[in-house]
Amino acid sequence: MLFNSIDFAIFLPIVFILYWIVFPKKIRNQNILILIASYFFYGLWDWRFLFLILASTLVDFFVGIYIDRNSDNAKRKKLWLWCSVIFNLSLLGFFKYYNFFIDSFIDMFQLFGYSIKSTWTLRIILPVGISFYTFQTMSYSLDIYYKRLKPTRNFLNFATFVSFFPQLVAGPIERASNLLKQIENKRVFNYDQIVSGLKLILWGLFKKLVIADALAPIVDDIFANYASYPGSTLILGVTLFSFQVYGDFSGYTDIAIGTAKLFGVELMSNFKFPNFSRNVAEYWQRWHISLSTWFRHYIYIPLGGSRVSKLISIRNITIVFLVSGFWHGANWTFIFWGAFHAVAFIPVFLLGRNSIYKNSVVAQNTVLPSIKEFFQVLLTFGIVTFSRIFFRSESITDSFKFIKQICTNFAFEPYTHPMGYRMIDYYVLVIIFVIYEYMIRKDERNPFKFKSKIVRFIIYTLVIFLMLLFYDDGVNRSFIYFQF
Amino acid sequence: MKKLIIKIGLYFFLLLLCLEVLVRVFHLAKDAPTRYVDDYQVEKWRPNQSGYSVTGNRRQNFSEFHINKFGFNSYREFKATKENFEVALVGDSFIEGFHQNYYNSIGKKIENRIDTISVYEYGYAGYDMADQLHLISQYKDQFKYIDIVVLGLKYENDLFRDKYEVEKSRMSLESPFNRALKHCKLLVYTKSIGALKPITDFVANLKNFRKEKNRNVSPKEVDLDKEVETRIDNLNSLINLYGFNKAKFCFLLDETNTPPKFLDYLKEKNYKYIGIGEKLKESRKNTTLIYDMHWNNNGRSIVADEIVDYIKNENIQLVK
Repeated sequence: MLFNSIDFAIFLPIVFILYWIVFPKKIRNQNILILIASYFFYGLWDWRFLFLILASTLVDFFVGIYIDRNSDNAKRKKLWLWCSVIFNLSLLGFFKYYNFFIDSFIDMFQLFGYSIKSTWTLRIILPVGISFYTFQTMSYSLDIYYKRLKPTRNFLNFATFVSFFPQLVAGPIERASNLLKQIENKRVFNYDQIVSGLKLILWGLFKKLVIADALAPIVDDIFANYASYPGSTLILGVTLFSFQVYGDFSGYTDIAIGTAKLFGVELMSNFKFPNFSRNVAEYWQRWHISLSTWFRHYIYIPLGGSRVSKLISIRNITIVFLVSGFWHGANWTFIFWGAFHAVAFIPVFLLGRNSIYKNSVVAQNTVLPSIKEFFQVLLTFGIVTFSRIFFRSESITDSFKFIKQICTNFAFEPYTHPMGYRMIDYYVLVIIFVIYEYMIRKDERNPFKFKSKIVRFIIYTLVIFLMLLFYDDGVNRSFIYFQF
Repeated sequence: MKKLIIKIGLYFFLLLLCLEVLVRVFHLAKDAPTRYVDDYQVEKWRPNQSGYSVTGNRRQNFSEFHINKFGFNSYREFKATKENFEVALVGDSFIEGFHQNYYNSIGKKIENRIDTISVYEYGYAGYDMADQLHLISQYKDQFKYIDIVVLGLKYENDLFRDKYEVEKSRMSLESPFNRALKHCKLLVYTKSIGALKPITDFVANLKNFRKEKNRNVSPKEVDLDKEVETRIDNLNSLINLYGFNKAKFCFLLDETNTPPKFLDYLKEKNYKYIGIGEKLKESRKNTTLIYDMHWNNNGRSIVADEIVDYIKNENIQLVK
């Protein structure tokens, strides 16, 4: 069930009404309702994969308890942790990476002149959201291992935490310390929280339906036919893809956070206007925050983080970015994408500028950014956008051919929309979107933060009006990050 | 909760109101002329209506229409005379041409190419051969002065009936309820861009829940020969009922979409036709609208050229 589908538009109010009107008093009943709703929500994609979620839930529920029971026995504790890690990574490995490894193995042999027929590759469907919920359950066991968390003895609460439908299929990847605690405690009906949730849902839908979906046909066309387009069009394609993927994923996240708010649950922020980052380090503090912090807490810091020699730190950074790339998909393009970001991040780290923008935003106390900030933002956006060539291309060969085409065939030609629509509409749309995001850049949880009720109402109207203007019933409405 | 429900209801109502205003201000939704059945049982538009036809989102195609005194979209009134050379184009929405400015229609394009003739366009969305031949037979006093009559024939959705009857499903669009819905421009716009399709599909799926189970049953194979024979039978029945002047009448059809057997039959029985399929396909530029299968300006020019060629090849004296 997609957030932007009619099914969800019917499902959500029903669950909401049952939650607050039929079962408002007992947490247990509310959690049962959420659990059933979540399994129903996920089961509409493919009910068979519900067993995977259930298996992952069972394993980490008991592993958590056993790690805690053996807290004095380091060896046993570690053993139980490995049970969780191996189980979850095996799920991921089988469903997501099995064919990749087999194909890469065959390619490697072919490189040396041996021809192997691929008889081991399997026709496996990737279960939606597997990368997200396996990481979430793993983080639970890891937190208990590192004594940051006490395990829950209530299976219902834990199962609800793992399968909580607003964030089940594409995050934010929650930590038990945040989400499980809220699930264990009584939620109270809070009018302001619900209104804030509805606003986020509206803004998320705008980003998905207007920005991502409107740009998708253009991006698809340019990347599919890159060999026949001049450099200027390819730059346009990858730039628009940057906005598309941002609109798509951050739109999804806003709807997820907004939906959770409707049930009295606060999820962590996943995006903080990454397009206004002043260096690559800041970008990673603002883009897919729940995954970045996951890697930081469970890979980078255990490896020594930055409290080791510069060389080891560089190694750690490289590992984290490579793993992050690999997490996104079983394709060399993602590994290159990760490697590219590592290369872009390391100079920032060596100059000691990786956390200088941690607590500030561009033009913190002014209306407009300084010239220096403006060019910093532009450069960072350029670097990140360039990396998207790897992210979006079908293969690594395509990525390099795409780059070569930009360099060797750089000519300016006006681009025509594949369906014949006016391109100016899309340019104006993107510019308005950037300006608006800049205006609200200080608070990602409140996209309509204007004092005047009338101004707010005008913006709601315009947002919905733009949804109607850019609605295209021929577009594939699925979310990009569902494939991960 | 009460406050929430009241506020959501209020905001919902106000938003709908504002969106309706915006859709009207930017003229995003098409105007809907009214239709009626005249004294001769011919279905057409009520005379003397004007408005704008809009196709696609963001007004991808915006054109003015004008219903003349006779009830068809045309820049001119139909006054066929013995003295002048007149051509009638009879057909469905492709001839009706709500997707073009009424002063830039196929007929006007033909007139621009041959300035001594007048072209009358009897186009009406949904017209099939039964509608067309019935119209001609009912207005034979007018058609007797017309020198060439071009009849649109779309094989894929034509010749399903062997006699004319008023199409009730089309006329039901004029019910007070449907007329009232058409006054809500927001609804008209959202429907036209397909934004309501998920809702209608959802409702239809619910209704057909039982039928869905039997969906996998493979459909019966269609006997193409038999189908062509049925269509020919229907054509003959219509011609017997309403008449057909082979000297004046000719069909306008897409020969690439029409079964060869049907075309052979037309040739064998000396029915004339203008084939436009090849020329439309040969065109480098797109021949249809972005959001709609109707001909765009380029498509209409190609069709007009083909009709002009036909008129010229007929060796008729174009000036009387």
